Amino acid sequence: MEGNHVMDVRERRWLYLLIAVFLVFNVITFSPLVPWQQWLLWSHPAPNKSFSIDIADYQMHFPAGGISVKAGEYVEFVATSRDVTYGFGVFRPDGTLVFQMQVLPGHQNRIIWKFDKPGTYDVRSTEYSGPQHSAMHYKNVISVTP
Amino acid sequence: MIRLGWTEKWTLRFAVVGLLCLAVAGFEGTLMRIDQYNADALRGMEALLNNIRPVAQAPTQAEVFYSMLSAHPIVGIYGFAYMLVMGAFYFLVPFLLQKEIRHKILVPINFWLQIIGVAICWSSGFFLMFNALYTLYWPLPVAYDRVPVLGSIGFTIGAAIIMINILLFSYNIFSTVVSKNGTQQYSIPAFIRSAFGIPRLLKRLGREDKGAPNMDYNGMPVFIVAVGRGSIDTVINAFVLLTAGALILVFGLAKLLNITLDYTAIDALIYKNWFWWGLDMVADGNVLMYTAGVWYLLIPLLVGRRLFGENVVRTVIMVDLLVSMGVWSHHLLADQPQPMAMRIISGQLITWGEFFTMGLTIFASMMTIWLARPIKLTAPLKFVLGSIFGFIMGGSAGLIQANTGLNVVFHNTQWVIALHAHAMLLGGLSCLLFAVVYAVIPMLTKLEIRSQRLVDLHFWLWVPGTVLMTMVMSRAGSLGMLRRTIYDASTYTPYTGVAIIGALLIAAGFVVFLVNIIATLGLANVLSLFLPESWFTRQVREAAA
Repeated sequence: MEGNHVMDVRERRWLYLLIAVFLVFNVITFSPLVPWQQWLLWSHPAPNKSFSIDIADYQMHFPAGGISVKAGEYVEFVATSRDVTYGFGVFRPDGTLVFQMQVLPGHQNRIIWKFDKPGTYDVRSTEYSGPQHSAMHYKNVISVTP
Repeated sequence: MIRLGWTEKWTLRFAVVGLLCLAVAGFEGTLMRIDQYNADALRGMEALLNNIRPVAQAPTQAEVFYSMLSAHPIVGIYGFAYMLVMGAFYFLVPFLLQKEIRHKILVPINFWLQIIGVAICWSSGFFLMFNALYTLYWPLPVAYDRVPVLGSIGFTIGAAIIMINILLFSYNIFSTVVSKNGTQQYSIPAFIRSAFGIPRLLKRLGREDKGAPNMDYNGMPVFIVAVGRGSIDTVINAFVLLTAGALILVFGLAKLLNITLDYTAIDALIYKNWFWWGLDMVADGNVLMYTAGVWYLLIPLLVGRRLFGENVVRTVIMVDLLVSMGVWSHHLLADQPQPMAMRIISGQLITWGEFFTMGLTIFASMMTIWLARPIKLTAPLKFVLGSIFGFIMGGSAGLIQANTGLNVVFHNTQWVIALHAHAMLLGGLSCLLFAVVYAVIPMLTKLEIRSQRLVDLHFWLWVPGTVLMTMVMSRAGSLGMLRRTIYDASTYTPYTGVAIIGALLIAAGFVVFLVNIIATLGLANVLSLFLPESWFTRQVREAAA
């Protein structure tokens, strides 16, 4: 009823609709219907390979042997910063984003990924770290083979 | 010449300065987009401006861009939005409560301190090249190989002045609400207990204190409830940002004195949690509660019907206050060291609390309008509807990105800043403030808004311009275009080009709005707000002679 603390029936129906949207959206996005949720949230697989990326003074230092992985295998990226916050983002050659994480100084920043398409991928910092941030773009540093 | 009272004059002064800040923020935003579209387009202007910058070396294009990007939100939020909110609340709170502002001396102090604080922050960017952005992620603001130490100190002092000023403003609003004709009616702690619903809880437990202030089931106007509950977030935000500022200031002063402090003593993750906890009191707290309050105030006034479900919305505002205290982890979804449980609970699920509070707020607002049919679509009501549309658009985008799965591809992209932040600010908040201006000017001056056609033109330039700009950039963001990143000619250049067209529509809408407001008030009246009254009296006398 309007005017007291009891909800009007129309408002209650609206609340039920809100609850339904909440449930549907969250169930779907927690589920493997968002593909990477399967390993980021649920299965936590042991990675087939692990690569360390060291970042300092606007420079990303990649492993000496390069980053070469197979499509379909689980790969771990471990990024560390020696000064400020950066980001670690993997992009396709056309500039579209595959995945990313923040790189906090003083912490090991780990993410596991499974590439599904062979090709070469770029890495760029996805967090502002000072005026030279935009230049932190490394082309073709990840190679994914079939 | 119209005769304006003291309060009315100050409200209009806040509004004029706030709107000037909106113009500056819009100009900055457009310059940055032009710079993204064509890196050479602004070289001439930059070279000219470098002549007045007191720095030894001409700054790089990136330094200029990021300095502007650091100043831009301060001018937009604290220059535009807060100035208008202060002006509006200083009129509406006494008007609704039928009593005077408790500490009148604080009104001009708030006005000037806000201008000074924003001007210092802006100058620290423009002249001293402060470029650590508003996020101030530790230890960037004290990494003096990237951020000039004087700029860092200046920006922090400016921000501290703003925060102290906001605390003074909130204190004045609190004490006005709790005072009764000059004599304290309630204490502020009692008022705060009421904001958190403690008296209501005690009543449920059979221990009701009938003398305590109560926001839930007595006659206190629902707008005042929203202002009271929202201002708690305002105070917490100001306090937290002050602590971050003090830390940065200590490092800056030590640097000037050649004392080396170890920045690794501060954990970047804990700092980030603290900072976002405080900042979200504004982004996810007071802005939603103040907005809800203004809808609850304006809509019944404009449609001539009492608010639908008034007692329910009082509870909704309290839930909003509680939710705002637990949502901050949605800014840390891409931070892998942040515990996953925090990311899921605080970052995603509690953040969805805003879906329910805003969902019910919008329902109550729309039902009030629906049940009042037939209604006259007046200027403020149009912009109220525009603001509801803006909040739906920006809020939906926010919920999509505040998601442990989807944030992997949305974090720090143009999606976040365009379809979430700018849709909220330009669609939601700005439309709401325009609605307030259109509603309050006739109340203050007894003048009707000059041209309804210009109101329509303002609306149909501003809202579609906002939709165009934010939608096209959100599309670029959903593909992977980053925010805070300068792109050379890239896949994303055409998106930026279309966004500039959207920005120009917004700018045209703003010019139309200003023309209409100045035509309504009269240029002489606008100028009289800032020039000595004796000068104007003399001019009028001479003109008459």
